[in-house]
This record gives sequence, structure tokens and C-alpha cells, in this order.
Amino acid sequence: MSSPVLRSFRLSLVGLAAAAVIAAPARADETCNSPYMTGLIKGQEDFVHVWTLGVKGLGDESDKLVTIDANPGSKTYGKVVHSLSVGGRGEVHHMGFTDDRKQLWAGRLDDSKIFVFDVGRDPSKPKLVRTIDSMPAKTGYVGPHTFYAMPGRMLVQGLSNTKDHGGRTGMAVYSNKGDFVAKYDMPTTNGGDGYGYDIAINPAKNLMLTSSFTGWNNYMMDLGKLVADPEAMKRFGNTMVAWDLKAMKPRKVFAVPGAPLEIRWSLKPGDNWAITASALTSKLWLVKQDANKAWQAKEVGTIGDPSKIPLPVDISITADGKGLWVNTFMDGTTRYFDLSNPEAPKQTYSKVTGKQVNMVSQSWDGKRVYITSSLLANWDKKGADDEQFLRAFAWDGKELKPLFEVDFTKEKLGRAHHMKFTAKPKRQSALAALE
Amino acid sequence: MRSARLGLALLVAATTAQAADPATLGLPALAAPAAAPALVELGRKLFFDRRLSANGTMSCGMCHVPEQGFASNELRTPLGVEGRSLRRNAPTLLNVAIYTSLFLDGRAASLEAQAWDPLLAGNEMANPSAEAVATRVASLPDYRAPFAAAFPGAAPDRATIGAAIAAYERSLVAGGSRFDRWWFGGEAGATTAEEREGFALFRFRAGCAQCHSIGERDAAFTDQRFHNIGTGRARVAAHAAPVRVELVPGLATNVSQAALASFGEAPATDDGRMEVTGDTADRWKYRTPSLRNVALTGPYMHDGSLATLEAVVEFYDRGGGDDPGKAEWLFPLGLTPAEKASLVAFLKTLTGPNVEALARDARR
Repeated sequence: MSSPVLRSFRLSLVGLAAAAVIAAPARADETCNSPYMTGLIKGQEDFVHVWTLGVKGLGDESDKLVTIDANPGSKTYGKVVHSLSVGGRGEVHHMGFTDDRKQLWAGRLDDSKIFVFDVGRDPSKPKLVRTIDSMPAKTGYVGPHTFYAMPGRMLVQGLSNTKDHGGRTGMAVYSNKGDFVAKYDMPTTNGGDGYGYDIAINPAKNLMLTSSFTGWNNYMMDLGKLVADPEAMKRFGNTMVAWDLKAMKPRKVFAVPGAPLEIRWSLKPGDNWAITASALTSKLWLVKQDANKAWQAKEVGTIGDPSKIPLPVDISITADGKGLWVNTFMDGTTRYFDLSNPEAPKQTYSKVTGKQVNMVSQSWDGKRVYITSSLLANWDKKGADDEQFLRAFAWDGKELKPLFEVDFTKEKLGRAHHMKFTAKPKRQSALAALE
Repeated sequence: MRSARLGLALLVAATTAQAADPATLGLPALAAPAAAPALVELGRKLFFDRRLSANGTMSCGMCHVPEQGFASNELRTPLGVEGRSLRRNAPTLLNVAIYTSLFLDGRAASLEAQAWDPLLAGNEMANPSAEAVATRVASLPDYRAPFAAAFPGAAPDRATIGAAIAAYERSLVAGGSRFDRWWFGGEAGATTAEEREGFALFRFRAGCAQCHSIGERDAAFTDQRFHNIGTGRARVAAHAAPVRVELVPGLATNVSQAALASFGEAPATDDGRMEVTGDTADRWKYRTPSLRNVALTGPYMHDGSLATLEAVVEFYDRGGGDDPGKAEWLFPLGLTPAEKASLVAFLKTLTGPNVEALARDARR
């Protein structure tokens, strides 16, 4: 006997599978968003929202959502136009829009709180409308990481658990109103290691990919202590999982050693492959079907010198699937890989963009690239290397040229982590996907 | 008065039950009698309650993980709220009642006192005060019935919360191992020839029993004293050398200390027992841990620096750590590979048969 809410979720999955036949990748906006998202940005983004970790002794010390004007035609271009503190410090990390793009869900990996911001009415002034703190109690999972829009639902990937703060975890489904619907453990059989990180769905193939990072014990640990602890270093995910989306059941576990993180499907029509980067081994991995239509994951490239642990931490795929930005945290480098042949990516450009760099997001047209600095509070560099910023660049296919920069330390904001774009309501169009 | 009588009755009933408990075979008689079930149950609830930390993320059980031998198998040294670093390995709480002093430096005299240290330590559960914890517990509706059952008429406070957590910790009794059945129970087939050879080495030539004591009728496997075996100095020396980082099995690289300092905090010093006594002669001395259930409680040593029992045996075979000030009775043993293997085999006989049951009970 299942609850009405759970039955409703199953029904929506059936509808989701039916919709998969006609679903097409988004034709605007960021390239990492859920394919179920509407209200896409057609051209220039107006705002970049930065989910920012509070720092003890800096400003109000609180975690906050920082909104920066990103429209070059605006008088406040490149400036912080809004800052909304949520109280306390709980290891701010990632965000994700609901399918209607009206709300932005943002998580904290330490205390597992989820903050829901209204960005639909006036994205220049996001408003906190809900705080969800039920995930540990409802699911036993800790560390809400990825927020992935599904029809009327948010799929939330956990990183850890309430029993031992290790890496075994799972995914939680919430309604857009914040009601808990269902939970799904990450697989621990048939090669599964139970870890989780990112979610990426290919509706046409009824396929959901998940990747694997590590548990609270490791992501909250001082990075110097962590790398010197051989026991802790054994506790990273080494798998990706292909799920039957409609059934929400693992279909196949891939061996992808060294913590595969962000997953990006190619958005080029007709493409059915995804790419990821493994943080510890500094490799690019391709997930696609083989000649027998069986999904496989294979290593296709190397990022920097793996022996120096460059730590690739974020990737951003171009809208045409022909290129990939990769940020490597340790050497502060932003790299561009030519993905014309996804089986053999080639690095064609690199630039040191900071003393430490983490997230990289590009506009749909690929002309603007945004970079932030913070990885995790206890993994960020120490002393003068602990730069905290958002840097915006223009990309002409040859060179990253600085547009503007916000110094998050000077502005007494905190550690700049995940970014999301919004546009003033008139600039968004639900029909963008059909263009 | 009536509640005192009730408590006494519960206590007597529990004590009688313990006398016939095979889990106590080989264990020294405990100084404190078993507590009333209602008190143990309240302590269990408190022990695993993450709401008892300042930000609701940590409980006692996050570092003393039931499925990991009530220790932390996955970390050399654990962390507290917001990931703050701790200096020492989380010891198992199995049979913790046998200790005459608590913590590896012996700074607490009772489990009741010990329980408050992690609750209030800024790098562990970081509560501002015992009163703040008591107020929080008192505000939680799900504690009303358990508290009333354990302490009729009493409110949560430093004494009652400490007593309850201590009662649960004392209930984690895990004797009756295969070794106990053989050595104290007279069950000849409970151990193998190799394990018995390892035990002989343990008692005599290898000298382990000098500190990991064995009595005539029982064995605590600890002398309750503090010794410098060279791990304290080794830890300091390790902080000057490049660190070998195993990224994934089979792929390792070296990281210099300079590179490590660019993204890691400086390791905190740890002077061991000297931090309690102030006596420089006690520097880097740590209390002898019991070896009961040792197969389940790695990594080993005060800083978790040795991952396996095999590594521990190798450490002692070398004569302990490289420290001129270490205990004089540590010297190279010259054990053969077979002898080392037999020592490890013996150590693995010390696992109580009820540990899994205790872990299941913890998660009720």
C-alpha cells in the first residue's frame, strides 16, 4: 500500500516517460539545467545568483544568496544588487530551479537544510519562501547536493547519511511545494558503492545517470588532513549508475574510479552521450551506447597532470556539444576541451583564472563564462591563496577576456560557490525550447 | 522515596540478569552494577541523537559507530561540528566500563564525567553549556516519557543526562570471545593451534601481556596505565615528511608538506598524558587500550596511524616507534612471518559474539 503522494509521483513518472518521446533538450539558458525546465532565458542573462558560504569573522558570517547584475546594459552591471542571508553556516553548496523556473532550491551539505527562494516574481530580489529541514529525518540521508527539476517535483541527491556520515546515501523526491514524496537508496549491489553526487536525465532514453563523491566525514574534513588519511581516502565513490528513469531502479553500474562528479548530456539534437570528470584521477569519461546498444562508460581523456592532483571540480558543456569547460581547483586553471570527437577530447585552451577555482558556468550562446572560487569550506586554500570571487569573462573562441569581478572577501560576503542565472520576467520565454 | 525503591528494584533485576550473561565471560567484574533498563534506554536515545550537538549534525554515535565496532573504522581521527579536526582516534566503547580512567590521556575519572566532554568541546559537539543541552532535551516532547521512566520526577540536567549516557555505554559489554571460552571457559576446541601459539607469544616472548594484562580469572587486556611507545614522536616526524596520497587503489602520488600547508590546517600538537599531569615525563604517553574486540576497531594507535593488526604487529616487532624516550621494555622482537601471523590470529579471537547484536540493538 503506497501513500497517495507516492502514487501521484509514480503517475507523474509514467507521464514523464510518455513525454520523453517528444521531449527535446532545452534550446536556451544554462547548459546544465534539467530538460524539464521551462521559462528559459533566450539571450542575455540579467542576474547571476551565487550561493555563498558564510565565513566566521567576515560580514554577518552567515550563508547567503548573493545576486549580481550581469546585464551589460544595466547601470549596476557587475555589482551586487541583493544579498539575502539565511542564518548560520551549514556548508552551502548547490542550487537548482523547479521545473517552472519560479523557485530556486539551494542546499547545505552540513546541516542538510534546503532553502527555497522565489526568483520568479522579481529575480533581482530573491525571497526566501520556505526552509526544508526534514531530509535527514525523512530519509536518513545527509547533504542535499543536486537539485534536479522533474515535472512538479524536485529530485534531491544526498551525499551522506545520518548513521555514520559515510558515503552511503540516496535520492529524495519532494513536491515543488516542499512535501516529501519518496526516497531511493543508491545501489550497493551489482558493483554499486552506495555513493551519490550528480544527476543528469536523458528523457528520450528513459535514462538517468548518477555519479559518486564522498560522505560527510570527507567533504567536511580539512583537505590537508583528508589527503594524509589513507583510511579516509578509501572512501570516495568509484561508480556511475544508469537508472531506469520511469521505474527509478538501477539498470547498470559503471566502474568510474576516482569520484566522478558533474554529468553533462550533450544537448545537440540526436546526440545521446554524456560526459563527466573524475576528480581524483583527473580523467574525462564518456557514457554512451556501444554497437550493441548497451550503455558503457569509458575513459576518453586526461585533465592536466594527474600526479599533481589538479582536481577537476566542475565542467560546463557548450550548447552544441562541441566543447567543454573544465575547472581544476588546485592549479586555478580553466581549460577548454574540443569535444568534436567526444571519444577523444582535446584540450585547446587554458588560462589561470584564480588561485583556486571551482564552478564554471557558461551562457547558452557560449559567449560568457562565469567562474567562482570556493570548493568546500574546509577544502579551500589557506592564507593569500584563499581568494573568493565571481569572475565573468567573455569568450570569443580564442581567449577568455575579463568582463567584471566581484571580490567576495572585500565585499564581506563569504565563499562564492554555485551560480545560477535568471532574467527579468519579460526576457524569459517558455517557448524558447521550440526556437 | 518510592522512586528510589523502584530504581533499586530495576537495578537488582538487571544485575541478576547480567550474572548469567555469557557476554561477560572473561571480563573483569565491573565496578558499577548494571543499570536499570529504562536508564540504559534513555542513554541509548541520547547517545544517538544528533540534536544534542550545537548545529544538529553530530551525536556520540557518529564517531562511535555501532557497525564499526563502536569506533570509527573509516577515519584515522574523526571530526566534530562543521568538520573541525580532532587529534585522536575514536576508541571503541565496547567494554568501556572496565576502564578506571577515561580518554586516552585519562583526564576523566568516570563515564558520567566523560560524557560531557564531547558534548561541550568546541571541536566536537560544540554546545555552549550543559544547561543549554539540558534545556534542549527538556524541550523535546519525545524525551518526556523516557526521562520519566528513567528519572521519575527529575528533569534533564548535567547529572541525569550524564548518568543516562554512561549507563548506555556501560551496557556495551562484549566478552565471551572464543579466547574466553577456551582460556576461562575450558572449551578446548574454541581456538586453533595457530591462535594458541599466538597467545603464547603474546604472553611471553613478544611481551604484549605486560601492558595488555591477563588475570587468573579474567582479562581486561589493559593495565590501565600510560605508556610512551613511540607513536607521539612518530606523529610529529610524519608532519615533516612528504605525504603519500593514494588517490584510488593502485594510483598514488606524493604531496610535499609545503603543498599540504597551502590547503590544510597545521596539525594540532598532542602531548598525551602530559596534558593532564603537566609532567614532561608523561609526554606522548597514552593509556593502554584493551584489546577486546580489537579486530573490529581499527585503525589503531592513539592517532589511528596503523591501519591493520598486521601493521601493529610489525610496529612492535620493530621495537615500537623511533623515540629515545619510549618505554625501555620495547625492543625489536625478531618474529618470523609465521609468528606474526599467529599473533594476529590470536588477536582475532578476542571478538565478542554479541557485538553484532549490540549494533542492532543500538539502531532500534
